[in-house]
Amino acid sequence: MENRTVYIIAELRKGCITQETYELVSFARVIGKGKNPVFLLLGKNVNEQAREISKKTGCYTLVLLGDHLEHYNALSYAHALMEILQEEEAAWVCLPHTSMGYDLAPRLAVLLKAACVTGVESAGDGSLGRPIHSGRFMEEIVPKTPRVVVTLLPGAFRPCEETAGPAGEVKVMRAAFTEAPSQTLGIAESLHRDSALKDAEVIVSAGRGIGNKENISLIKKLAAVFSRSAVGASRSACDLGWVEHKHQIGTTGQTVSPKLYIACGISGAFQHVSGIRGAQTIVAINTDRHAPIFQVAHYGIVEDLTTFIPILLDELSVKGR
Amino acid sequence: MLSERKLGFLTCPTSFLGLSSRAVSKRHTPSADLWQQAKTLSMKILVCIKQVADSSETLQVDERTGLLSYEENTAFRMNRFDEFTLEEALLIKERFPGTMVDALSVGPERVSATLQRAMGMGADHGIHILNRAGGYTSPFTAASLVAECARARNYDLIMTGVMAEDTMASQTGQLIAALLDLPCATSVIKEQVRPESADIAVEREIEGGSRETVQLKLPAVLTIQPGINFPRYPSFSKVMRARTYPQELIRAEDLEIQESRESCRGVRIPEASSQGVFIEGSPAEKARKVMNILHEKSLLS
Repeated sequence: MENRTVYIIAELRKGCITQETYELVSFARVIGKGKNPVFLLLGKNVNEQAREISKKTGCYTLVLLGDHLEHYNALSYAHALMEILQEEEAAWVCLPHTSMGYDLAPRLAVLLKAACVTGVESAGDGSLGRPIHSGRFMEEIVPKTPRVVVTLLPGAFRPCEETAGPAGEVKVMRAAFTEAPSQTLGIAESLHRDSALKDAEVIVSAGRGIGNKENISLIKKLAAVFSRSAVGASRSACDLGWVEHKHQIGTTGQTVSPKLYIACGISGAFQHVSGIRGAQTIVAINTDRHAPIFQVAHYGIVEDLTTFIPILLDELSVKGR
Repeated sequence: MLSERKLGFLTCPTSFLGLSSRAVSKRHTPSADLWQQAKTLSMKILVCIKQVADSSETLQVDERTGLLSYEENTAFRMNRFDEFTLEEALLIKERFPGTMVDALSVGPERVSATLQRAMGMGADHGIHILNRAGGYTSPFTAASLVAECARARNYDLIMTGVMAEDTMASQTGQLIAALLDLPCATSVIKEQVRPESADIAVEREIEGGSRETVQLKLPAVLTIQPGINFPRYPSFSKVMRARTYPQELIRAEDLEIQESRESCRGVRIPEASSQGVFIEGSPAEKARKVMNILHEKSLLS
């Protein structure tokens, strides 16, 4: 098991190597028992990014170049990667659990006849730990094949320290073009964002647990107590139509770093939590004492927010005067 | 597949799958333009639906098996991500009348109640892959069962939710696609299907709220992101009527699939890693304590 080569599929966002890619290095060293991983970087014009990886990590970096690899596409990426990966009888293939990683991992696993374990948070003793039921439980999955494809949850490991040693070797190869029944045409940046969230010192956020759309007024009232405040929301509160999507915080929404974050009725799935890691103080209000949000909150309050927020507002108005 | 079905239609019109049986019985000799329309503009869609426990608060780790056990009175319902998926399939059906939507679920007997609801929402047909095997079912096993069932049925579109609320793996749709060698787009937040050109343009939601545009040839697999629509809430009478609709039953052991490549060693409750504290007391005391904390941290201005 320890002799397997550990590969990392690097991820680019707006032309930059993502932090999640560097988090994979720390994970790769755990499953590779300290051995350095090998990076695979795909793209059209990415030699500079490859040098960044090799310099920061000291790892061997293999670049697969092709015009058709300019944007991520599962089929063209999988085809290019198979050229390299099918040569390995036993290997770990690591990707971030992002829109690229979870899109690509199962495809690679089927092609490689490999085990596929996604949304992993920990590794040890031959198994991979992954949260289920929004983090209320962890399951330990044992891969049974010599090849294993893994996606790692963003934020589960710290990004690796920059190496003081020499840069790793960079090798550049051309990937052969093949016609595929799917084509990525381009990326549109988000147009609808609430810029107030970015500048806010205090964010009061609503989740599915607020119960109904009417209770949003409580969230707004609480936010209004603070100056430089904004209203945020979890994905599911937005999907229910309770709050506009521009207020959404999390992996597919905005990443925020306020001084104070008050999470109301938010369960705390990683998709939301990864968007609030920069918050200095997190207060969570939820009726369920075992909700995963309390794992990240500094202060937890087990109360029904429809009764608690009015009491808190009373208290604030008394003190505020 | 569209092309094969076109052929089937021309050679054997009455067995054409794209027309509902009602339409066929009404007109034994469809007019030429109805032929033309049905030939090009109807689709066959498979929606994969998972049944999940209504609340994970009732679940416990079974000390004997090390896996999660359900209490006897556990309530089950449709995975929320799959509600959006079924809704999107039904919206496609509204755009292209004659489209058939099959709902499929893998699991024990209780799963048929969720299929009933799917038919109450508007799915034309329910397929229950009866899997009585207790214990851990890997995404690979579930996807292999679906793929084997779907292989010979020539769907134009196979749709799943972006993930299941309980196991959160985001694998099943992509695995089905890979097993059937079909293109796939995940986290789809907008779709424009074009049966006339046998392709589909989608927008995938990626990090930071950006969107990636992908074009896929049909047949294809989509995994649907919540928020793409507002799932309909079927009336009580529709759900009740759906109880009388027959469901196709396929036994999992009758489908030939490869052995799972993952096993589960056990489920545990994560150690409390939080440095946080619970604020205790009566609601009023809690509110006062929160006030004091905010004051100390100069968060009240």
